[in-house]
Amino acid sequence: MARVLRMPGLSASDTTGVLAEWLVAEAATFADADALATIETDKALVDVEAEGGGVVLKTLVPPGSQVDVGAPIAVLADPGEEVADLDALLQELGVADTAVPVVAERRDVPDTDPGSGSPVPEPGPVTTPSVVEPAETNGRVFASPLARKMAREAGIPVEEITGTGPRHRVLRRDVEAAMASRTPASSSPAPAPASPPEPATSGSSYEDVPHTRLRRTVAERLAASKQQAPHFYVRATIRAERLLALRAELNAALAAEDAAPVSVNDLVVKAVAVAHARVPEMNVTWGEDAVRRWQVADVAVAVATDRGLVTPVVRDVGSRPVTAVAADVRELAGRAREGRLRQDDLEGGSITVSNLGMFGVEEFAAIINPPHAAILAVGAVRDEPVVEDGAVVPGRVMSLTLSVDHRPVDGVVAARWLAVLTEVLERPVRLLA
Amino acid sequence: MPQHRPLEPASPWVEVVATDDDWDAADPALLRTFLAQLVWIRAFEQHVLDLAGAGLIHGPAHSSIGQEGGAVGSVLALTSDDSVNGSHRGHHQFLAKALHHVEPKGMDPLAAPSEEVREVLLRTLAEIAGLDRGWSHGRGGSMHLQWKDAGAMGTNAIVGGGVPQAAGFAFAHQRSGTDAVSVTYFGDGAVNIGSTLETMNLAGAWSLPVCFFIENNRYAVSTSVEEATAEPRLSARGAAFNLASWKVDGQDPLAVHLAMTEAVDHMRRGGGATVVEVDTYRFFHQNGGFAGSAFGYRTKEEEKEWRERDPITLTASQLERLGLVEAGDADRAIAQAKAVMEEIGDVLLEPVPDGKPGQRRIREREWPDPAWVDVGVRGDLSELDDAPVVAPDGHAVEVQETKLVESIAAVLGRRMETDPGVVVLGEDVHRLNGGTNGATRGLTDRFPGRILGTPISENAFTGLALGMALDGRFTPVVEFMYADFMWVAADQLFNQVAKARHMYGGDGGVPLVLRSKVAMGTGYGSQHSMDPAGVFATSAGWRIVAPSTPYDYVGLMNTALRCQDPVVVLEHVDLYNAVGPGPVDDLDYCLPVGKAAVRRPGNDVTVLTYLGMVPYVLEAVEGFGQVDAEVIDLRWLDRASIDWDTIEESLTKTNQVLIAEQGAVGTSYGGWLADEIHRRFFDLLDAPVRRVTGAEASPSISKVLERAAIAQKDEVIAELTEIASY
Repeated sequence: MARVLRMPGLSASDTTGVLAEWLVAEAATFADADALATIETDKALVDVEAEGGGVVLKTLVPPGSQVDVGAPIAVLADPGEEVADLDALLQELGVADTAVPVVAERRDVPDTDPGSGSPVPEPGPVTTPSVVEPAETNGRVFASPLARKMAREAGIPVEEITGTGPRHRVLRRDVEAAMASRTPASSSPAPAPASPPEPATSGSSYEDVPHTRLRRTVAERLAASKQQAPHFYVRATIRAERLLALRAELNAALAAEDAAPVSVNDLVVKAVAVAHARVPEMNVTWGEDAVRRWQVADVAVAVATDRGLVTPVVRDVGSRPVTAVAADVRELAGRAREGRLRQDDLEGGSITVSNLGMFGVEEFAAIINPPHAAILAVGAVRDEPVVEDGAVVPGRVMSLTLSVDHRPVDGVVAARWLAVLTEVLERPVRLLA
Repeated sequence: MPQHRPLEPASPWVEVVATDDDWDAADPALLRTFLAQLVWIRAFEQHVLDLAGAGLIHGPAHSSIGQEGGAVGSVLALTSDDSVNGSHRGHHQFLAKALHHVEPKGMDPLAAPSEEVREVLLRTLAEIAGLDRGWSHGRGGSMHLQWKDAGAMGTNAIVGGGVPQAAGFAFAHQRSGTDAVSVTYFGDGAVNIGSTLETMNLAGAWSLPVCFFIENNRYAVSTSVEEATAEPRLSARGAAFNLASWKVDGQDPLAVHLAMTEAVDHMRRGGGATVVEVDTYRFFHQNGGFAGSAFGYRTKEEEKEWRERDPITLTASQLERLGLVEAGDADRAIAQAKAVMEEIGDVLLEPVPDGKPGQRRIREREWPDPAWVDVGVRGDLSELDDAPVVAPDGHAVEVQETKLVESIAAVLGRRMETDPGVVVLGEDVHRLNGGTNGATRGLTDRFPGRILGTPISENAFTGLALGMALDGRFTPVVEFMYADFMWVAADQLFNQVAKARHMYGGDGGVPLVLRSKVAMGTGYGSQHSMDPAGVFATSAGWRIVAPSTPYDYVGLMNTALRCQDPVVVLEHVDLYNAVGPGPVDDLDYCLPVGKAAVRRPGNDVTVLTYLGMVPYVLEAVEGFGQVDAEVIDLRWLDRASIDWDTIEESLTKTNQVLIAEQGAVGTSYGGWLADEIHRRFFDLLDAPVRRVTGAEASPSISKVLERAAIAQKDEVIAELTEIASY
């Protein structure tokens, strides 16, 4: 039975993806779970896997195309299936027009099975990718071409602007109003219209580096976070001697087994999960209609890559040993640097751990990675005089700054949580049980 | 019982038959040239069929084999100053004219061809094969052969389409004071089409030296002449229009030459247009190398009878009888010509590498550059380099309140004064004190013979004007009394005028001005009330100007008359008697091509409009008051001349556009413009392109229905109200 393979929706917020590469050529066969294509989303390269074996009758979009989620990208058939008239079949499936799909702007694609790359057989004729029926219910935001352009340049999602035009279309004046409300009094003029980046020439005093998709996404998400999530900050400095001693002992034991060592950061990640278990009010995310409380502690880890910042999520940190957590972090960081993270690696959790200690940074404050409720910024372990029992003694300390979204979490909760975290890190044996 | 008095045609209608005595008396050099030309043309045509059979000719190969006698016999009665044009089956006439041009003293059938003859054969073959070294760089091909230097003004693929143009060549010859003539070749199929009959009438009425040369080869594709007409003696058509007419055996070049010499003499002496009909036969089917009998519409016996009257055999036997050639000379001449054609073919062709034996292909270097596809749709406007072009904005000369219709007569008169080549033609333009609206008032008396009232035959007089323009010595100003009449002249306007420059290679100018009256609102109803701008805008080649003030009319008409492209100047009856700024005494300034006028600056919406809609839009904007509209009078409407810079500048400011016009939506102008604006300026738009047009129906006679069908001020206000509500 011939069927249409569609651009999978890899996350709720993805409306389009780039078909990076076809891994199975037209007319070639594939087995169950074979990777058919690689798709690039905002954050990751994802392989689309086959559900059951078959043959690729026709690919409908060339590599490099940006395609709407849900749009047909290929026609597949069962192994050995004979297709006498491919054109007629394409017609029947409603995908005869193989022009490169025009990306129709829309948002809030119905969230069907995120992360699934499976082909969805269609019962009836399907619309071509360029035709997106503006139904009342699909939440599409209408915006004029000019408004879209201005909003894009201003870094404001058009979805967040109230349209005052026909059918609530977002117009130039609406974007201007949104820009005015978000910019301080000393607002700078709107960015100049985008012009192609000029190549650096000898003697030029600057070089324009075109935005990568990831760079743009980071910029948009963090700008939105800072604008929408009211941040507050709580700070603590902990004594790290026991943490370091524990780590040394643990790594000595692991080395004896030829196992990989754990880092201070791995221990902090584990400690965050323990604190979440004790103060579950912190293990939450803000939603439009409700605050979501999570049952398990998934903790994201910020990883710097050549392509930009990514935050893969370590699963169920609370119930797993620190060595398993460390192994996960290592594996995720490695794949992040190769750009091979899957979309589901990037989803979930309520908090991120970001650590700049390896650069000697004493302390810093981070911007929350939406939809998380908090981000923990970890500074370097450093030698400092501390007061102990009324006497100044040499001590080893580490500073922590917790940025918190005030919408789901009040200050007291954050303070309690930080106190627990401090206690756990200062008495780290708890991390092992 | 009524009496019956026999009536006679006013002009003679005769058949010319050549006897052996005539052959004896003929100039031996002429007779040898007959044979030489017949042989060269036959060898050429055979070579074309060979290439077509090998798949090397793209498109049809309309062979003239069998019909060469009429072409050679007639062309040798002409000189290079005389013009010819022809139909889709025109290789033989074109070659005869071109060979006669390069070898005016005659040719010898056995002599090796001169370099000039080889050049003619090579360039003609290249053109037919669609190659760059052809006469029109391969654009014209088999059916559009033009070499103006030789007086070969262009063959034509529309049946009868070239006939009116031949009357224009004749007009130019006559009005230039020469005795040159024009010959238009066509077949029994084209004799029944309107263009041909209209032109016979017009050429008769104006006594133009044009010969309607009918090759009656008995079949229009597969339809026999007896099926197509009750009068298969086709030269009888001449009697209907008082044209002197001859009928002659087309297989006998001397008979044709004798008849043609009489006809040419008649024309050179001022006797007016003529008809020459030759009976002839194409040995093959309509196109390609198969006999017609293979398709079942004629018999092998009939073909055999005609093949026995092959003009080459007939001519060779007479020359042998007269001792002008020896037995076998004709065969030797044919063998030589065939060998030369092979050599010429080898210039264009090469063996296919690893192909079958004898398999050939076009040499890569011979093809035209595909990037050249649109080059020469229009000219480069260099003809305006020395024109007194003024700034597009404001008034460069002193102005006063003037009626637009008076400016028309004034500027036309001024140009006729400074350029003796300008002639005006159209229905009733010479009478009624300046035509039906007074646009040519006073000109008939000032310029006798240059304000030409035509018979009611738009296709013929438009094509005649095109002939003048192709000739180049005259600049015709054609008036259409109503724009809707363009459909009557559609072939000439859109197949001929619009395409002529590009189709024949891109270099030849087509200086023709069409004044077309838009009469919506006058109660003339469904067939007299259209705005033609939208239709003309679809036709590459035409430039379109739409003057809304007397000042613009003068400047734009002056530019149009200098321009070497065809320009349609739209005139709206609403504006004829409206008063606006017009020049006091300077009638020589030109407005630049491609510059619009901002009639009212504004910030909220850009209104693009033209012609009679401009005043309505301005009134609407001022009257409504709530929308600060920028009103742009486009002035130049065609794709090449529209002012994108001004539109972009305005859209950058307003981010919204309204295209306002008056006419019916189906043929409306703004559709293509809206499409183009969306694609060019998408990111400037804060709203979809808005449009004001008339209704779907053509305007009716009934006053209220007519008003409802036409967009005016109220319709603009309605749209402005919509804009203001957001």
